[in-house]
Amino acid sequence: MISACTTSVVVEGTVPTPLVTRIPARVGVFYTEDFRNFRYQEEIRDAGTWDIDLGSQNLSFFRNLTEALFTSVEEVPEPTFTAEEMGDLDGIMIPSIEKYGFLTPSISGLKFYSASIEYRIVMHDKSGKKIGDWNIIGYGKSEGGVFSRDEAINEATVLAIRDGGARIAIELIDRPSVQAWLREVHGMAGQTEGAGL
Amino acid sequence: MRWMLPLLAVFTLLSGCASSRVEQVREASTGINHGEALVLLGRASYNDKQTEESFTDCIAAALSRGDDPIRLIPPKQFKDEFYPWFEPRTAPTSADELGRLFAQPGVRERINEARVRYLAWIDGDTVTIDSGGSMSCTISTFGGGCFGITYWEEDASYEASIWDLQSMTSTGQISADATGTSYLAGLIVPIPIPARPDNAACQGLANQLREFILGEG
Repeated sequence: MISACTTSVVVEGTVPTPLVTRIPARVGVFYTEDFRNFRYQEEIRDAGTWDIDLGSQNLSFFRNLTEALFTSVEEVPEPTFTAEEMGDLDGIMIPSIEKYGFLTPSISGLKFYSASIEYRIVMHDKSGKKIGDWNIIGYGKSEGGVFSRDEAINEATVLAIRDGGARIAIELIDRPSVQAWLREVHGMAGQTEGAGL
Repeated sequence: MRWMLPLLAVFTLLSGCASSRVEQVREASTGINHGEALVLLGRASYNDKQTEESFTDCIAAALSRGDDPIRLIPPKQFKDEFYPWFEPRTAPTSADELGRLFAQPGVRERINEARVRYLAWIDGDTVTIDSGGSMSCTISTFGGGCFGITYWEEDASYEASIWDLQSMTSTGQISADATGTSYLAGLIVPIPIPARPDNAACQGLANQLREFILGEG
């Protein structure tokens, strides 16, 4: 009876490669199990139970994003902070999903399905000192009349991931603490290199 | 069944129709060379309004056929190739911002490679401004049917802002407004009589946009 009212969505979409200036640093990225397998479940009155699996799409999106953002990227199995463990890495990035939510037209009264996703990006330098801790919110919406409701939530979620990723791609390099870290890494004013498109 | 004839006559008179008005403001001369392309992008915002994808699809379909078809790059392909610069919250809001965008590594090169000459931002939506009437449907062991009439009036209001990516300037705006009243007439079975003002706005905007881009406007 419950399964008959459950809408399951496995989020799928394109994974564009950002066309941005690469940050000149070698970074280790730690993806937590929660991030890799993020799943959101909610029971909504009159709209049934929703089971939204973001994990796979989110992970491939972030892998592509970070590959394009830094000179080199290495996935690390745990957030290691000692100089020996860091090896050639200049820093560690730990992305996580703080919140995810969506609205259907029946809830919002609008023509659209909408989704929001709040990312938290934590970065540490080679010595383990925190470079920064930022929360970035991505929004997405899709037309209710064009898609079925599971397709509409998929589309809105993909757009929310894209929107959050766009802000990370554009804004991360301009953060003063990132610029200061780059000066430390290179021993000079935070220089950047061509994106190698 | 003779009693139905007057009702049919009324419903025929009620056939949905839309009236539209198209206006143009030109800021610079235009023209497009063989192989150069136009990109149509719908403006999205995070309030309750957003240009419907079906509307930009309708304009794209109209521009890519006829005697003078214009080469179009699909918006999804364009946004993916230029990610993250044309997302709803990162896209330039005026042609003055193109200089800063084109200074980003690789952007100018990709625009030239794809031969994108013009970018047209489509902004607007279709809203229901009035509705009324009543219809009741019954079903029984002897059969059933619907009787009555309902109507709804829609207003489609859109504007295209055209940017020349070669000169990095705004070349003008075209606006299209259309209104129309649609009916749902119940005569045993419900008969929809749509006015489709969005379609009228699309055709009006597409025709004017074609002339504008080709430099005949």
